[in-house]
Parts: sequence; C-alpha cells; structure tokens
Amino acid sequence: MQVDLILGKLEEIVEANFVSNRMEDLYIYSQDPGASLSRQVDYVVMPESVEQVQEIVKLANKEKIPIIPMGGGLTLSGLVIPLKGGIVMDMKRMNKIVEINESSRYALLEAGVTSGQLLAYLNKNYPELEPPIPDAPPSVTIAGNALIHGSGYLSQKFGDHGSMINGIEVVLADGDVYKFGSCAVSDYWFTRGPIPDLIGLFISSFGTMGIITKLSIKLFPKHKMRDIVFGLCKDPNVLPELISSITFSDVAEDILLGIQDKPDWMKGYTFIIVYITGDSEEELNDKTKSLKKMYRKGNARYMKVPKQIEEIFLEKPQFAAKAADFRKGGGFEYVGAFIPLQLIPNLIQIGTEISLNHGIVPTLGARLIGQGHSAMFFISYSFNRADPKDMENARDALHETNKAVLEIGGIPWKAEVEGQKLIMEKMNPNYKKLLKNIKNLIDPNGIMNPGNWEV
Amino acid sequence: MGGVILISESKEQDWKDIVHRCFRCGYCKFTADYSDFNCPSYKKYRFETYSTGGRMWTIYGLISGEIPWNEQVSNVIYACSTCGNCMENCRFERFKDFLVDFIESARKEAYIQGFCPEKQKVLRERIENTEMFNPYGEKNSNNEALKKQYNLPDKAEWVYFVGCTSNYRQKELRDATLRFLKKSNIDFTLIDEHCCCSPIIRTGQTDCVKDFINYNLLKIRETGASKIITSCAGCYRTMKSDWRKYDDFTDIEIFHTIELINDFLKENKLKFKSELPRTMITYHDPCHLGRHMGIYEIPRNILKNIPGVELIEMERNRGNAWCCGAGGGVKIGYPEWSVEISKERLEEAKSINVSLIASACPFCRTNLNDANVRYDMGFEVLDIIEIIDQLDYDVI
Repeated sequence: MQVDLILGKLEEIVEANFVSNRMEDLYIYSQDPGASLSRQVDYVVMPESVEQVQEIVKLANKEKIPIIPMGGGLTLSGLVIPLKGGIVMDMKRMNKIVEINESSRYALLEAGVTSGQLLAYLNKNYPELEPPIPDAPPSVTIAGNALIHGSGYLSQKFGDHGSMINGIEVVLADGDVYKFGSCAVSDYWFTRGPIPDLIGLFISSFGTMGIITKLSIKLFPKHKMRDIVFGLCKDPNVLPELISSITFSDVAEDILLGIQDKPDWMKGYTFIIVYITGDSEEELNDKTKSLKKMYRKGNARYMKVPKQIEEIFLEKPQFAAKAADFRKGGGFEYVGAFIPLQLIPNLIQIGTEISLNHGIVPTLGARLIGQGHSAMFFISYSFNRADPKDMENARDALHETNKAVLEIGGIPWKAEVEGQKLIMEKMNPNYKKLLKNIKNLIDPNGIMNPGNWEV
Repeated sequence: MGGVILISESKEQDWKDIVHRCFRCGYCKFTADYSDFNCPSYKKYRFETYSTGGRMWTIYGLISGEIPWNEQVSNVIYACSTCGNCMENCRFERFKDFLVDFIESARKEAYIQGFCPEKQKVLRERIENTEMFNPYGEKNSNNEALKKQYNLPDKAEWVYFVGCTSNYRQKELRDATLRFLKKSNIDFTLIDEHCCCSPIIRTGQTDCVKDFINYNLLKIRETGASKIITSCAGCYRTMKSDWRKYDDFTDIEIFHTIELINDFLKENKLKFKSELPRTMITYHDPCHLGRHMGIYEIPRNILKNIPGVELIEMERNRGNAWCCGAGGGVKIGYPEWSVEISKERLEEAKSINVSLIASACPFCRTNLNDANVRYDMGFEVLDIIEIIDQLDYDVI
C-alpha cells in the first residue's frame, strides 16, 4: 500500500492530529537518548484506546508493516527505535489510572501512565501506598519499566518490577485483545496465578510479542519515615558477604552501590547506600545501629554524609539522568547486568578497566534485587552527543562490557540488538527454538518490533 | 530566569556547542510534582517533537544539517509560548537558564531563512510601520493627549512606559495606572513611545530591535528621567532583561508598578480608605514577571493587603503556574489554541471557587478575559492596579 494510503488509514483510526509521517517528528522518533545510531521510522501514531490499538495492529498485520510500541522512550538501548522501519506507537495518550485497589494493593493502569503521574496521584490520594518506580525520569511509563524487568524503588525487598506485575491486557498481532493473570478469570487484577503464567512471555521481549495496553502493578505500604545509612568500603571482595548479611537481616528496603572515580574523593571506594524505613524514630535508630554493626563486621565503615547529599538520594525519582551531564555532552548509556551477588567484585574490576581503556571516567553501581537473590550492576558510559567518534567509542565500550558480563555468568539487561545477539549466542538452543516457535505462532507475519530477539 | 549574553546574538557554532547537552529526559514537560504536563505545547501536540527536549534536538538537527528548514519545522519552533516552565523544571544547571533563549535564537534563524510564519511577520510589519510603531496596527499615540489630560510635565524623574497592550487594548488598565501615579505624587511623564519590541524579540525578528531601543532610550533621556515604570509584565521583562543584551545602559532603573505599590505598603504610605465587597481572588502569575523575572511574592503581598480580598492560590502557582497562552507569538500565531490554554487556567480557578482572577500583565488579562468571554466562565479578570483603582485610598 502506498505511504499516503497508510497515513490516511491511520488518520481514520486516531484522527489526523495524532499520526505523523512528517520529517521533523520522524527525526525525533528515529533516535533515543542512548548511544544507538538513528534508524528509519515511517510513521508515529498515538492511540487513545485499546480499540484504536487493535485497528492499528490489524492494519499493520494486513500490510505487514512493523509496529513498535513506545512508553517513555528512555530505555537508552534503542529498543523503541525500529530496526526494520515501520510504525512507532507512542502510548502516551493511554494514560488513565483505571483503578487503585487499596485493600489488595494494586494499581490498574493504561500503558501510557508515567511514573511521575502515578507517584503524584498516590501521594495525593493514597499517601499510605507506594508504587515501584525506577531510577529514571518521571516521564518513563510504569508499564514500560515493568515490562523490561526494570528495577528501582522497593526492588531489594520485593524483587524486580517485572515480578510485581499482576496482570496485563495485550493486543496480539491478530488484533485481538488478550488478558493474562487473574484478570483472565476474575474482575480483580490481583495476582498472576493460579493459572498457567504466560505473563513472562511479554517481559523483556521488547514488544516482540504484542502491545500491552493495560497493566496491573503491585503497590506497597509506605512507612512514615525513610532514611539512608551510608557505608564505605575499600575492598570490593568483602561486598558479596556484607551485602548478603544486610539483606539477610531484613533492615533494608533498598540497597544501592556506587563506585566512581570522580569526584576524586570517591575514587577507590564502594559507597553502600542502604534505605531504611519505619514508623518511628526509634525504629529507624535501631536499624541504623544494626547497619553500623554490620558495616564494622563486614570490613566497611559507616559514613556520615552532608544533608544535601542525603537529599539527592532521597528524591523520588532519583535524578539518574545526571550521568548524561557528566561531560556536558548530553549522552550516556549503560550496561545494566543482572548478576548473582558473588560477581560484584569481578564487575567492579571489569567495568573500571573497560572504562579506562575507552578513556571514560569509571561510573559504576548496583541496585540489589529481591533480598540478595541478584543485583542489577551498571557500568555507565557518558559521551558527547555532538561527537560521532565519542558515541562510537561508547558503543564499543558497551559491546565489550556485554561480552565480559556474559563471559563471567551475568546477563545484560534491556540489551540493545547487538547485546541481544550476544545473549542468544550463549542461550540454550531449545530455549531459542521454543522462543522462535512461540513467536511464529502469535506473530506469523513478524510485525512486532522485528529485529529484536530474532532467532 | 533567562540566560544572558551567551546566545543572545547567537552564531551557529554557539548553538552547536551547547544545544546537544539536552538529554531529552523530559523533566521540562511536567509540573513540579509530575502530576501533569505543564508545557502548553507538549500538552497540545503530544509528539515528543513538541517538548522542549524535542525542540532542542530539532534545533541540533537543523544545525547539524540532519533536517532542513521548512514550514513544519518552523511550526515546531514557533508553537511555544516561551512560558519558561521548561527552565523551571530542567535538571541541568546553567543549561536550563538558556532553554527559551535557544528557542528564540532558533526563531531568529527561521526568520533569516525565510521561515518566520506569516502571522508573526505581521508583528514586525506593524511595529516598523511609521504610522503605527505598535503590534496592534493602531495609529501611533504620541501620548500628548494623555499628557495634557493628566497635566504631565515634559521633564520628570520617572517615565511611565505605557506599553502597546495597555495603550491600545487595555486602556482601563492604563488609566488606572495613570490615576495611581498621579495620586502618588510621583514626578512622572509620558513619552511618544514606540513598541518595547517584546513581540518581535519573542518571534525572532530582531534586526530592527536596536533602533527601537535607541529611540525609546533617547526619548526617556530627553525627559531627564532616571526611572521607568510600567504596568506591563512583557515590557518590564523586555526592558530589564532583553534591552540590556543590546545596550548596557546603567543610567535608568526599571520598575513594575507593583514594585512601587509594594514599597508604599512597606513604608506604610499607601492607606486604603474603603474595602472591596468580600471577594475571593486568585492570582495568575504572568510568565514574563514570574518565571522570567522571579517576581512571585510582591503581587501576593499587595493583594493580601487590600481590604476585603481573600487570596486563594490555584494548585499551579508561582514557578509552577500554567501559562495563559498569549506569549511567545502564540496569541497572534495560534489564536484558537491560545484561548484554549487560558481556558485551562480558568478551569483551575473555577475549581477553587474564586470570582476574580487578578494578574499584573495586560497581555495575560487580555487572553484570560478572551477565554472568559468565549467559554462564558463568569469570572472578573482584572489587573492588580485596576482592583486598587476601585478603592478609595491615599498615598501619603
């Protein structure tokens, strides 16, 4: 079908104001803030309802046009930049908070609800409930983050945000609407089971399985008080045991690690940032005392930090995008590797070496996930967006890091397409075979974000 | 508040060295608590292109040659009221101060490249028209009649710079200001003023600006004045901030009327002898005065001191205020949308049950009232000086 006919059909579905193939819009949607090169986009469309999503998917399936769902567009790893052209479906107009279930503690959201929107809504209307939000700008979507195995607030205690999904509504390539989780059986979107759990198919599949239009996410009790107990550690080798002991004690709501060569006073240390919560000063004091003891016992030490530094870490959401400004160049991307705890010292060494080899100031860190079961360890590379060679250098560093992570037994998170290829090289052949068969079954024309996870 | 000098007379290389620092994280779109989008342009168009981050990337694309100028790109650059919400919420220090300057500089480039929209071009045509010298297309008022009416001298310490909106569209506001100044026994006069150039600076048509500044400064100096006072937030910002990018004058101070009123209150010189019937009022922060010049508390202090006034804040206030939608060339370029933006502000006022919306900017007053009439919202929209004008008062 000719370009203008596709445009006309899309305009019929969503009205002209919300579809574009204008050069200036395609330019913006052809790139993301990470280090990926720009890639061709043919249309951008912004549906407002699940019915509109269905119509668009049916059109794309009929015409065999790739379709790429987009939340906040901030994965940094190019996951919403088409690999084979096509329609970028920007979900931001589907931004209704459909339900907050106070007693079962979940939020039913349309796919375009941002983390900032949910956070503000709960703060105002349900101040005793806390949403899982990522260390990312408030414009990221709750659905987008959960659907990439995102992590962030509450991950230490309750797991990655993907595991907090109770249910999803999905439009598959055939244009039909499917429900997964308890909502497939009940009016309540309160849990994933107890039926065969197919939700995992849609997590970290980067839009290759279907378009998620609604999602139920767990909410958690918000304690009255929140504080941070900072620790400082010189020897990375003590970290796995120390972190393990902290998670075993159940005092920490969240745990972050930070390793940076700049500013100079941070060089050579790992900063341990433990978030504690409670309902009284006494409770917080007890937890602080416990942590101080654990730091001492674990060959680390408690560190008192100025109030303004504490406030930076207590902000919700944290201003993680500041890494883009380290070199005043407007860009950064990181390998976030899911690793078992014992690999933390290895990754500190690997990340530092790769950074220095590429002339980039080492900026590393980790967020603990699921009470010590794993960590998301990030190695961040800042670059100057206006310098193509610098961007290429960052891409090389990212690729090298992906390889190193896989070699030692970790798995790159939300990997860009080259990283996905590396993962699949190591992937169990039968896993790949099954993945391919499932994909072919539910998307026979290969229209769903093609090029990603391509077996 | 706006950045200074760095890109005021931008060269292509200057932009290129800075503009790519935008990461497009999106803080610029939001209210302070992230509960809603507070960028009028993004809220209307919804494409990422129309966020300030999108504009920064578009500007970079224009500079790098990845995209060419055309009318649609020009629309991206002009469909922005330059309200400064992005400057308030961007997290990149120093860079944030220049976001509106970037957009205005891109508009200069659009103008040079022949892509300034026709509707905005009219502003310059009218201002340069020697019969007019104002953006409204009215015959120039040399203010001699007003001088005579108010018995104003040729030489004075102060010049009341009326501003085109007050002189040609909001005459009640102008007259209320004149009566206040007269009653204050301020030694002031008027000049045959020409446009302060705010409309053409905001729309990138700047090549004649220096001449207008020179003319106005000359006329002011002829009176012997060392102080300018204006009731117009747009003139105030332009004279106090933009003029100084063109002429580093130090012999003349610039005041908004509310600053004078506030000083009188502080010095106990302004005595109200009557009171308004009990009135629930909210204050709309003009972007020119608030986000661009940092004046938030003075108008509130005045309103709180007016007998009978109960000041109630809208949810979005001060640096977090929703724009009225008139600025940045939007009123003339996108008249329908401009009024829709004001409608959102009036709906916000409706939700707090006030009957009167006060501001300190004739342009905000115009646009808010246009929406008020268009959508039959039933508010009274007045400038602070008009509210004071309703009262009996002495300045001692």
